[in-house]
Amino acid sequence: MLRFLFFRLLRAAVTIVMVVSFAFVVLRLSGDPAQIIMGADAPPEAVDAFRAAWGLDQPLWRQYFHYFGAILSGDLGRSMRDGRDAILLVVERIPATLALTLPALAIKLGLGIPAGVYAALHRNSWADRLVMLLAVAGFTVPSFVLGLLLVLLFAVQLGWLPSGGQESWRHGILPMLTLGIGGAAVLARFTRSAMLEVLGQPYIRTASAKGVPWRAVVWGHALPNAAIPTVTIVGFMVGSLIAGAVVVESVFSWPGVGRLLVVAVANRDLAVVQCVLLLVAATMVTANLVVDLLYGLLDPRLRNQPRAAGAH
Amino acid sequence: MFSRRAILAAPGLAVLPRFAVAQADVRPAITIAVQKISNTNTLEVLREQSNVGERVFSSSLWEGLIGRDWLGDLRTVPGLATAWRRVSDSAVEVSLRQGVRFHNGDEMTAEDVVFSFSRERMFGTTLASAQGRTIPIGEGMPAPRPGKELPPEVPAVARRAWPALERVEVVDRYTLRFHNATPDVTLEGRLSRNGSEIMSRRAFEEAATWLDWARRPVTTGPYKVAEFRPDQMLVLVAHDEYWGGRPPLRQIRFVEVPEVASRINGLRSGDFHFACDIPPDQIPGIERDRAFEVQGGTILNHRLTCFDKTHAALRDPRVRRAFTHAIDRQAIVDSLWAGRTVVPKGLQWPYYEGMFLADWEVPRFDLAEARRLLREAGYKGEPIPYRLLNNYYTNQNATAQVLVEMWRAAGLNVQIEMKENWSQILERSPTRAVRDWSNSAPFNDPVSSLVNQHGPNGQQQQVGEWTNEEMNRLSVELETGTDRARRRAAFRRMLEISEREDPAYTVLHQNATFTAKRREIRWKASPAFAMDFRQGNWGV
Repeated sequence: MLRFLFFRLLRAAVTIVMVVSFAFVVLRLSGDPAQIIMGADAPPEAVDAFRAAWGLDQPLWRQYFHYFGAILSGDLGRSMRDGRDAILLVVERIPATLALTLPALAIKLGLGIPAGVYAALHRNSWADRLVMLLAVAGFTVPSFVLGLLLVLLFAVQLGWLPSGGQESWRHGILPMLTLGIGGAAVLARFTRSAMLEVLGQPYIRTASAKGVPWRAVVWGHALPNAAIPTVTIVGFMVGSLIAGAVVVESVFSWPGVGRLLVVAVANRDLAVVQCVLLLVAATMVTANLVVDLLYGLLDPRLRNQPRAAGAH
Repeated sequence: MFSRRAILAAPGLAVLPRFAVAQADVRPAITIAVQKISNTNTLEVLREQSNVGERVFSSSLWEGLIGRDWLGDLRTVPGLATAWRRVSDSAVEVSLRQGVRFHNGDEMTAEDVVFSFSRERMFGTTLASAQGRTIPIGEGMPAPRPGKELPPEVPAVARRAWPALERVEVVDRYTLRFHNATPDVTLEGRLSRNGSEIMSRRAFEEAATWLDWARRPVTTGPYKVAEFRPDQMLVLVAHDEYWGGRPPLRQIRFVEVPEVASRINGLRSGDFHFACDIPPDQIPGIERDRAFEVQGGTILNHRLTCFDKTHAALRDPRVRRAFTHAIDRQAIVDSLWAGRTVVPKGLQWPYYEGMFLADWEVPRFDLAEARRLLREAGYKGEPIPYRLLNNYYTNQNATAQVLVEMWRAAGLNVQIEMKENWSQILERSPTRAVRDWSNSAPFNDPVSSLVNQHGPNGQQQQVGEWTNEEMNRLSVELETGTDRARRRAAFRRMLEISEREDPAYTVLHQNATFTAKRREIRWKASPAFAMDFRQGNWGV
């Protein structure tokens, strides 16, 4: 187990280094932050002064090593727009994003999994077709379209909810729904497929033939076996809790990490972008690690795989 | 049943609510949705070099000695100064308005004005210069307090605005003299420009860091900063001691809503009182509902197409001239702007007053002339790249597509290359040829636009796109000359060079900005980005 964890963590560290390096090179080669932040109308001498002050006039390799050295010493840099520590800027936006993504995750799980299971258990019925119709619609409609449709209905036409902003809990309802509905649709489709595959297995037939009540077959045999692909998807969803609401935050003017990332990328505010990327990579890697561990819990055969592999 | 204390307190309780009601501020609080509040995340006029900043800064927060008629024709009007007079070709004496209160309650005096133009706040360690010569100045630069160091771009911007300002002399508590190192007829204009606004010295000194101050500047405007959350919102509240009368609004809240559709939906749902930055194609849809109207129009900004004369295909000026003649500008105005803007008279504005050349025109639309010029230049259809940003300017993509077709009709083979940011647009390489830009005029003289943007220190020459020896000589004459007739002649010649003979750019149309609001709100838009919410421009 420790060896498994060690290699997972090593892989995670390599992933994070690659993400940070790739982002550095791409962001630096695709635009000069000084010109972008100062704008098209800034006097050339002001742009030069900005460049010199932030070390942007240094060779790229020197900037990279300087930046990487600082990261290793725990300094994630300062925002070039703001002058403040990048980590502070990012951390102060996290609660706003989690206030959207956590309830949205609950909607995804609470709506998507039961709908998928129900559709699988009533395969080819009108209920199955209706659930899948809605799931395909929810899956294919882009979140910005869905968000605008919800605003048109609930804010503009009915006047029940605000159209955007973050002043009260009511402001969060539409963005949560927008995020939740799309994710629930994805989960419903995956859960249905997984359940259908499991329900066709011989052990399900055997259990039924033995006279085990259908409810017990579903709860005891079908659901645990169908959970593995579903857990994989949920793992991705958990991993994207921090930066999975970029579009929705823009549509609803929600001041979270997603909007910060958009603005930082547009301005080539490298320290802030890197900080968000580090956070996202760390969240994603952790979520994947947890998913791997859950696999072992859900399927005892997977727990023994490394040892079995080693025996060969 | 009733205690003695309760009985004694009863009359007081009965009176208190009435007293509170009488004191309650019943002025409205409004919310304005904008695409962007400030690109630099500060409210410092010298750092924010974008048009969007003007919306928040001008007329509401910051004020200069010489103001502008925001609701009229933008001509200069008394601001924090009641009068000004020329002492010499290079000096102006200013009489301050008395009794002006800063947001912190202090009275504005000559000391605050001097500090506003000081090295500590404005120029840092930069030195004044004129005609390439550094001007020695006696004033030393004291080491700034830790945390109070100016961002390096602030002195650079300040020097661009005031290249040869030598000193500001206090004559008495309410009188000052601005001394320039060279003769300059634009000193009054420079006093009215953005970047020359006045701030409280005490507030700057009391702020812990420069950034703290730049996010809550203490000024004299009708509204003061209550809360600023960068990239999110700015809350201004009434400054009731404002010298121009009690502001009509209790609070103005600017919120950043990057999506156009979200701004319009927020207006229609009642979340916002105003929605700014409305593209022209959205106006009919908004006004279909009689409850709403869209105001606004032309602003002090022209859209240009710029040329890189070092590009192989553009070296011959006849090819660039062909570009300028192949554009049907009025068709662009009519089709993409629904006629809500105009084709201006070159890179100038009527508010230049005595320097405005009313008989000047942009190159006429003449396809035959364009084809003739290309034939004479021996242009054989070589591809000419057109670096384009994705709708940085309103209608930018559509305009670019129209332009490419118009140029094609003349025989020019222009190919659009989409770019992501200004750095990519300006990157010096053999593929840089044609690009978009817009130019403003921060004050009422061509020095503020033609010299500033296309002269020897202007962006076009600094990035190596274009230069012209005669233009550079005339730029100096325009900056330092004092004879109006000679300056007008120099300006005309400069327009001839940069727009006709050796085109650096060609003007497409005047820019415009549009603001949607509920029809019952009686408020008038300014012919600028600035939104005026002072007394006299509000009613419901």
